[in-house]
Amino acid sequence: MGERAPREAALVARSPIAPVPPATVEQGWEISARRSVAPLRLTDATPLAKVLVRAAADGPVARGLEVRFGRAARDADGVLVVGSGPGEWLLLAPPGAAPEIASRVTARADGEFASAFDVTHGRALMRLSGAPASDALAKVCAIDLSDAVTPDGAAVRTSVAKLVTDLVRDDRGGEPSYLLHCERSSGQYLFDALLDAGDEFGVDVDGFVFPGV
Amino acid sequence: MTAVSARTGMTLRLEPQPGEVIDRNRPLEFTWNGQRFPAYHGDTIVSALAACGERIFSRSFKYHRPRGLLSASFLDPGCTVQVGDEPNVRGAHRRVEPGMVVSAQNVWPSLRYDVKSVNQVVGRFLTAGFYYKTFIKPQRLWPAYERVLRRFSSGGVVAKDSAHGYYDKRYAHPDVVVAGGGPAGMAAAVAAAEAGAAVLLVEEEYELGGHLRWGDAGQLEALRELRAAVAAAPGVEVMTNSVVNGRYDGNWLGIVQRNLPHVVERLVKARAKTLVVAPGLIERPYVFEGNDLPGVMLSTGVRRLVNLHAVKPGQRAVVLSANPEGDAAIDDLARAGVEVAKVVDGRRGPTIQRATGSRGVQAVECADGTVVDCDLLVTAVGWTAPTALLNMAGDRPVYSERAARFLPSRLPDDVLVAGGIAGDGPLEQLTEHARAVGREAARRAAETARSLCAGIPQIAERRAGPPDPEPAVALPELPVEDHPALFFSGTRGFVDFSEDVTAKDLIAAAEEGYDSIELVKRYTTVTMGPSQGKLETVNAVAVLAAATGRTIPETGTTVWRPPYAPITLGALAGRIFEPVRHSPMQPWHEAAGATPLVAGAWIRPDSYGDPAGEVRAVRSDVGIIDVTPLGKFDLRGPDVPELLNQLYVNKWSRLDVGSVRYGVMCAEDGVVLDDGVTGRLAEDRYILTATSSGAATVQEWIESWLQTERPDWRIHVTPVTTAYASINVAGPRSRELLGRLVEDVDLANEAFPYMRVRVGRIAGVDGCFMWRIGFTGELSYELHVPASHGLRVWEALLERGADLGVRPFGVEAQRILRLEKGHFIVGQDTDGLTQAYGAGLGWAVKLDKPDFAGRTELVWQSRRDDYFRLVGLQPVDGSVVPPEASQIVLGRRIAGRITSSRMSPTLGRSICLGFVAPSLTGPGTQVTVRLPDGGEVAATVMPQHAHFDPEGTRQRG
Repeated sequence: MGERAPREAALVARSPIAPVPPATVEQGWEISARRSVAPLRLTDATPLAKVLVRAAADGPVARGLEVRFGRAARDADGVLVVGSGPGEWLLLAPPGAAPEIASRVTARADGEFASAFDVTHGRALMRLSGAPASDALAKVCAIDLSDAVTPDGAAVRTSVAKLVTDLVRDDRGGEPSYLLHCERSSGQYLFDALLDAGDEFGVDVDGFVFPGV
Repeated sequence: MTAVSARTGMTLRLEPQPGEVIDRNRPLEFTWNGQRFPAYHGDTIVSALAACGERIFSRSFKYHRPRGLLSASFLDPGCTVQVGDEPNVRGAHRRVEPGMVVSAQNVWPSLRYDVKSVNQVVGRFLTAGFYYKTFIKPQRLWPAYERVLRRFSSGGVVAKDSAHGYYDKRYAHPDVVVAGGGPAGMAAAVAAAEAGAAVLLVEEEYELGGHLRWGDAGQLEALRELRAAVAAAPGVEVMTNSVVNGRYDGNWLGIVQRNLPHVVERLVKARAKTLVVAPGLIERPYVFEGNDLPGVMLSTGVRRLVNLHAVKPGQRAVVLSANPEGDAAIDDLARAGVEVAKVVDGRRGPTIQRATGSRGVQAVECADGTVVDCDLLVTAVGWTAPTALLNMAGDRPVYSERAARFLPSRLPDDVLVAGGIAGDGPLEQLTEHARAVGREAARRAAETARSLCAGIPQIAERRAGPPDPEPAVALPELPVEDHPALFFSGTRGFVDFSEDVTAKDLIAAAEEGYDSIELVKRYTTVTMGPSQGKLETVNAVAVLAAATGRTIPETGTTVWRPPYAPITLGALAGRIFEPVRHSPMQPWHEAAGATPLVAGAWIRPDSYGDPAGEVRAVRSDVGIIDVTPLGKFDLRGPDVPELLNQLYVNKWSRLDVGSVRYGVMCAEDGVVLDDGVTGRLAEDRYILTATSSGAATVQEWIESWLQTERPDWRIHVTPVTTAYASINVAGPRSRELLGRLVEDVDLANEAFPYMRVRVGRIAGVDGCFMWRIGFTGELSYELHVPASHGLRVWEALLERGADLGVRPFGVEAQRILRLEKGHFIVGQDTDGLTQAYGAGLGWAVKLDKPDFAGRTELVWQSRRDDYFRLVGLQPVDGSVVPPEASQIVLGRRIAGRITSSRMSPTLGRSICLGFVAPSLTGPGTQVTVRLPDGGEVAATVMPQHAHFDPEGTRQRG
């Protein structure tokens, strides 16, 4: 982390979630440089590019994305495609990739009415990882998180700590891992609620590591 | 009689017992009513005290009679104590801890000599309905009565500064929940788990085992095997010191979990696919004169005390036994060195008449006339089946004359029963039955899971074809053994120990005409105390049946409802999760010491300490306000103009790129729903704004139109309220300030006039858009900046505008500014009945549009003239600010109200908006405003809403 350059020169994007010290700036984002190997880890993943795609549930765009409502999967480029609603997808990609992702999707439209909207700044995104992740989440979310009902790759829009949240199970390294996605303005609230829920499982904050998806 | 002084130590502690739960290697001390007492880890508060010879643990609810041990379990009514700051602790259940400070509740001056026991003397006046009859008149005296009666209420004390504990909540989705961890519950849980189910086994006591824990060597061996099986079974989660407190539709269960180290209590909300109810049986007290004296105990209470806690329950006992369990208690007493002076066999006719004594049993008078001196009377007269969870599942248990208890009748498919509640039989037969129940519960749960998953395509497509349904498990029949029906002896004695309701009370109630059990319950409060009928329901029914000459089945029972066991308010409240919303500039506002305003979920700066100064800064120089909560929607698609025409009452067909228009939305009833501006940023891109408080409603309203009314329209709506940080830059020097930060937009009035939108770069941030509109009446620009850079732009505005006198202003200053300008606020100056014309929005309504939401109603309103109208008002005495909601009166009639009022720093006088009757709308009309203190003030109706710059020259400049 270098000296902070004069304001006009260095454009630093800030997540709604205050970075847990030590903070650093990487690729234009202020992030926490904290590293944790705790059994349960919470990471602010807001810097990820987030593109909201709207198109017919069965049109060319949908076929190109190959992910149906309620599921999430990575495409050939490593973009995580989340079927967040009927005819609605959320694409998660490394920071800064939003314009390219958006134009790639709309290029597939082939005359279909489709839109791709960069919601990177409008949403907060966090990841809860570790063996006790499901148990911690069960304190704030009424969804059945068992493997049978919410397996790896499941995507639901639900209530987490009374907040409308898109919940994606995206396991990592053989451990349960969840992405939680909400309106930016409530990002800090949701982050704090998850820390509260994870307290008994020894949750710790783990800083964002690029590319992060 | 040998009442041992407690201070001498654990004089009634027995030699080690095979099933004891105390750890003699871990002694500890605690205090009881200020005195130090010894105990062992594993002791309950009351077992420790009993080991030291204490016999009285509380005074009763109404008569303040001394009360001691009865059941030695959670529901023991006489053992409710205060622990530190925690009231109403179940002293016969809560384990004692080192240094614990325990005291008796509701006694004065002491437990031993309680003054309020004079109530016993006047007891004959405190019969059923006493409070209803005595304190109902005169009504005005009730507050005085209440103050006095409150002192007589039972229950402990909570200090106002009591610390908040961490009360937790958790959701669970087990296949099978087994309520009750006795032998049947354990066997059912193991069998269900072995059949592949995820099982939650819930037990109210600290250990699994139920009555096996105080059984003989064979039963203790069976207990060891069952516990080992539970520990070895895959997928059984055991919750001890926990209780299934309610069962709701779809097996939605509320479970209170108390066995956690890190939280006070946790409420587990479990959606069980099947529920196995296996609570065992609760021993029923016997109703006779003196049955509440300390020293009168249930046989199970005695057996718990002797076998689990190694406490000698008395010195000389009379035992009334009507079943084998009572007979076993006689053996336990003998082993504990208690002299059994007499055994009365309840199976052979008349029993006992009364127990006598002052602070405890001193003698028992038997039905045969013999009087036996003793300090302990043990009764074993039968069982109550705790069918609460079955009642909650819709079952109406039926009374079995043979067994003298209620048995389940018709259970729903997702509820099964095991153990004593289901029937009788030797241990092997009951556990064999329970194993079959467990397997069947697992099978039914699998069926349910299969059908649930089949309904979710995302899951169904991933799973292999469902295995063939398994055949139902045959559930063996359980016998029901004969038991004598023993409920009461004579017409005296307590039926409800918690509420101090006697048999006489019930008989008196019946004589007064309250002859239905439901009425008797409510009139006498029988079964309504903390034990909630678990000890007293059947006795109450039996007494009432006898008083009315009916049978028990004819009399019926009351219905058990949640909660099954008393629950703390903390557990019900759980963790308090209340989502809040913050703008990206929130850290700055906090650092600047802004007064927070809670506006729905948003936390906003109300002011930075000086709203009037903030107003003046905007009027003279320039101010900036964080308006991020403003609802913002990105609309794309060819049919957007159609949508706008449908939602707004004004016309939208022609809105050029770069233009902004104000619009009003009405609901179908013509009532003003919201207002805001919509701008066209590009050929196919619009931004629609809604009020901060109306954003959610507008989103639903838009989605309702697109999803249900016009799914054919090609429009994509994305809520972007929080994607942009929104800043209003207002004041005569706003253009100058913005010119220092905006790089690629010509801000000159001709190039960027009023009601236009431009996209550009501000303070180095791309992708911003700004429009020339405002709520303040000044030249102003509303900037919308990608949210991650909002704070940067906010700070840049303050930094670069310092020499221009820029100041941040809060919501209060904005409210003053907009009132000076006469802008109304939907929801503040309008209400749920304000149609567009009444709000003065007739100019915007275009009835020549073929259709729009609310048109039919507005056509009708346009033809009428009988509605109140929003007008600008100025009190004649400009120093008076009539509070908002002050009424405007015309003679004795209400002729309007003040909707907004403030002192205007700009005009140096009070200004208002308000609704007035049609006859009062003419400019210059003087109206009378009635103030809340009864005074009146005259106010003049203004020619327009605006009090300041009505021509609008400042904002267009």
